[in-house]
Amino acid sequence: MSRSFSRRTFLKLSGATTAALAAASSVPKMLSWASESGKGDTIKLVRSYCEMCTSRCPIQAKVENGKVSFISGNPDWASTGGTVCARGGAAISQTYDPQRIKTPLIRVGERGEGKWKEVTWEEAYDYIADKMSEIKVNYGPESMAFACRGGPHKAYMDTLAKAYGSPNTFTHESTCPIARSVAQEATFGTTAMAIDYGNVKYLLTLGRNYFEGINVAHVRGVMSAMSKGGKLVSVDPRFSITSAKAHEWYPIKPGTDIALVLAITHVLIRDNLYDKEFVDKYTEGIDAIKDSVVAATPAWAESETGIPANDIERIARELAAAKPRAVIDWGWRTTFTSEEFELRRAIMIATLLLGSFEVPGGMFLTKTAPFINGIVGRDVIQNIMAPKTPPFPKISKPRIDGAQVKGQLNFMVSSADGVVQVIPEAILTEKPYPIKGWFVLRNNPVISQSNTNRVIESLKKLDLLVVCDLYLSDTAWFADVVLPESSSLEREEGFNNASGAAPTYTLRQQVIEPVCNSKPHWQIFKDIGERLGLGAYFPWKDMDDMRRLQLGGNLDLVMTAKEKGFINFGMKPLFLRDKNSVAEFIKKYPEAQSKVNEQGIIDGPLFKLKTHSKKIELLSHEAEELFGRGVPVYRPIKLKEDNQYYFIQGKVAIHTNAHTHNVPWLHELMPLNRVWLNPSTATQFNVVAGDKIEITSSYGKQPATVLISKGIRPDTVFTYFGFGRLSPGLKRAYKKGTNSNMMLSSEMGPVCGTSIHTGAIEIRKV
Amino acid sequence: MAEKRYGMLYDSNRCIGCQSCSVACRAENKVPDDVSRLQVWIDGPKGDYPNLTMDFHRQSCVMCDHAPCVPVCPTGASYTNKEGVNMVDAAKCVGCKYCITACPYQARFINPMTGTVDKCTFCYENRIQKGQKPACVSTCPTGALIFGDLNDPKSDIRIAANKQYVVRPREYLGTQPKFTTIPNWRGGGQV
Repeated sequence: MSRSFSRRTFLKLSGATTAALAAASSVPKMLSWASESGKGDTIKLVRSYCEMCTSRCPIQAKVENGKVSFISGNPDWASTGGTVCARGGAAISQTYDPQRIKTPLIRVGERGEGKWKEVTWEEAYDYIADKMSEIKVNYGPESMAFACRGGPHKAYMDTLAKAYGSPNTFTHESTCPIARSVAQEATFGTTAMAIDYGNVKYLLTLGRNYFEGINVAHVRGVMSAMSKGGKLVSVDPRFSITSAKAHEWYPIKPGTDIALVLAITHVLIRDNLYDKEFVDKYTEGIDAIKDSVVAATPAWAESETGIPANDIERIARELAAAKPRAVIDWGWRTTFTSEEFELRRAIMIATLLLGSFEVPGGMFLTKTAPFINGIVGRDVIQNIMAPKTPPFPKISKPRIDGAQVKGQLNFMVSSADGVVQVIPEAILTEKPYPIKGWFVLRNNPVISQSNTNRVIESLKKLDLLVVCDLYLSDTAWFADVVLPESSSLEREEGFNNASGAAPTYTLRQQVIEPVCNSKPHWQIFKDIGERLGLGAYFPWKDMDDMRRLQLGGNLDLVMTAKEKGFINFGMKPLFLRDKNSVAEFIKKYPEAQSKVNEQGIIDGPLFKLKTHSKKIELLSHEAEELFGRGVPVYRPIKLKEDNQYYFIQGKVAIHTNAHTHNVPWLHELMPLNRVWLNPSTATQFNVVAGDKIEITSSYGKQPATVLISKGIRPDTVFTYFGFGRLSPGLKRAYKKGTNSNMMLSSEMGPVCGTSIHTGAIEIRKV
Repeated sequence: MAEKRYGMLYDSNRCIGCQSCSVACRAENKVPDDVSRLQVWIDGPKGDYPNLTMDFHRQSCVMCDHAPCVPVCPTGASYTNKEGVNMVDAAKCVGCKYCITACPYQARFINPMTGTVDKCTFCYENRIQKGQKPACVSTCPTGALIFGDLNDPKSDIRIAANKQYVVRPREYLGTQPKFTTIPNWRGGGQV
């Protein structure tokens, strides 16, 4: 624009503001940031928590004249220190994005044709209620599936599903960290656990990529541990940012991680380096573990993993020297082979041999209100309560995925999460029974699930697909009804249990009025419930009502939460086996003194776990009985043919899974992914950086752009996931980059129902 | 009390290239699309597989004491304020781009909304003068940025700079930047 002003004309203008207004009208693209409307006199700061990923970091939003202008972390939230990541800061850009869905839509063309009719909420609700009633009559209520990302919103979705009569509710978990959750459940009897990264002295990560798969508290924890002299060792076929920051990087052969962990376990046992006192007192099954790792020598592991035996020996010794503040990370969305359950179990067992449990710098159980109240012996911490509803109708058929269904493959998977990839299979095969309707909230199965083509094929067979999203997502593109949800900055919500080593609840608060004709998810479920005659299951008016109800009428606590953004009951982090933190706890709650043993720790709860033996199970009785997988063993998995490359994916700091790629500021920072080839691979195919290639697998093919990097094994190809979007409604992200899930199979890992994220691809220059 | 003299220290070892700072800058300073006052560049991997390193670079104004952008400005729009921050007075700027050419750090650009030169100001008017830290410093998850008064020996930035090896970007130019970097020492081998 500057060129259009001569110096004289320009100086005549009264100042920059005038110029800005003149330019703004002709350059609409530049309006993607929020507050161009001008300087405001009214400024307010609102505390809430973020939803640009699912770490739910507490934030503070600055609102100027009704528009949000800046997002920081909540300055009072210790574990983020008032900081926020790029995605959190870009929530502004998402909320004001003109490409959001502005009003409810009903499909008028063929499914996936992209022809829509704008409708009122009433019309959309009527359509959904009619179709859901039809499905119930014709196929039974269980033929309707419900899937969401997972989080506080799930309670409202579950209420509608249960009241309607369907057991089939799902989160995205089985496309992400479910192996970890099922392994935790098998070992500790709970998934309410965390790692105290900030106090770790030695951290070994097998693909958990702290500095790109960002959870701000974890990022700060690991960084703080390292600045205090802690050591970070990264094992990853790719040189990630985490690998770059680590003290050591080992580009392991994909899929062989269990061999490494078993060899470390072997050394800890062989050289008596493990915490015998801890293991004998608190765990079950050490003998079975000892037997299982006899042959797992470092030399054997070297031949499997490519990591030198002497390094494995040394790492095991260093871990032991740092115990109990030594952790092998149980991972996140780091799914390598069908043996995920074994791998996550092996990691937890090795970490347990280091005694790294309920101590600072170790694994610990989440200190929820019931947990603390149980120790103290009376209700000192207000629990989050659920509204009282009428009894739900009896469910006539078991879940399609068999989660927690006796005799079924996914018995050990929590039905709170389920195995979401089973939905497309049930739609296509009609086994165990047909799924005819699917309600999707804050989830994008077309991009987030493996084997994209099969997912799309299944969607085309549905009688009803409802998608509730901010954008016309790749799944929304195939929907019958699209419902615009209010963004996290536009909606009130109830309390979120954010407890870690101390009980804490965070509160989501509405920061601005909705920009579009959108509604919050809880309103949508309540409205549909009422349409279906199920209003009694939603016995609350709004979120003020819900908050009051959740905290048992304690309005003072609600007020504190509104002001601070959270409530924490003034308790310091409690690690049950750490006498200092126990002493602090007793200072606050002297009546818990009777629970403290002669060593000054509280270990009663460690004998009352929800496992078969009530103790920590190195040998999982349940997994042994049901699957013959009581202790982890190494079963080599053939992941590719000789002419193929391992295909692995990972997170990037700028984007979240299948969510943010169309958000203007984030898209601008990273519009597409490239496919990483080792220089030797590039030479073999005669390609240079920026060249176009095609990658193919048994499940599909994708165009890709070459990035040549020494940071990837010669036998492996890497890309960041979530790109190559298929919905033309995502105008920026559409067809930018490579959709990695197109390359992956629908196969599920045994015991835990996990997706498997190591693929096998061929490369062709185009 | 002596005048303040603001500086910033960037610890490239703590930087993870997450771009939190660049998004915060865009929001705080209402920076239009496709231009930026601040970016983080990731350079690498370098070295021989598997002994690799990755360098991190903050790309923004380095706040020179001897700023080449100031004397070349024909209207006096480019100036160094009393607290050492290099600023642009948009009312005086004619968009001639002399300063953009003169800047050896590629820190300046034409703001397409105003037609005038724009650059990092350490958030001088919108935050520093209100006693707040620059937006990038306040949101950086890893604490890679330290901001403060270089005239105050007790400031965080002076204390941090005294403890570590810091470099001034392209010091040989004699521009005397008040933005300094702790160079990367991470990566590069298996112990």
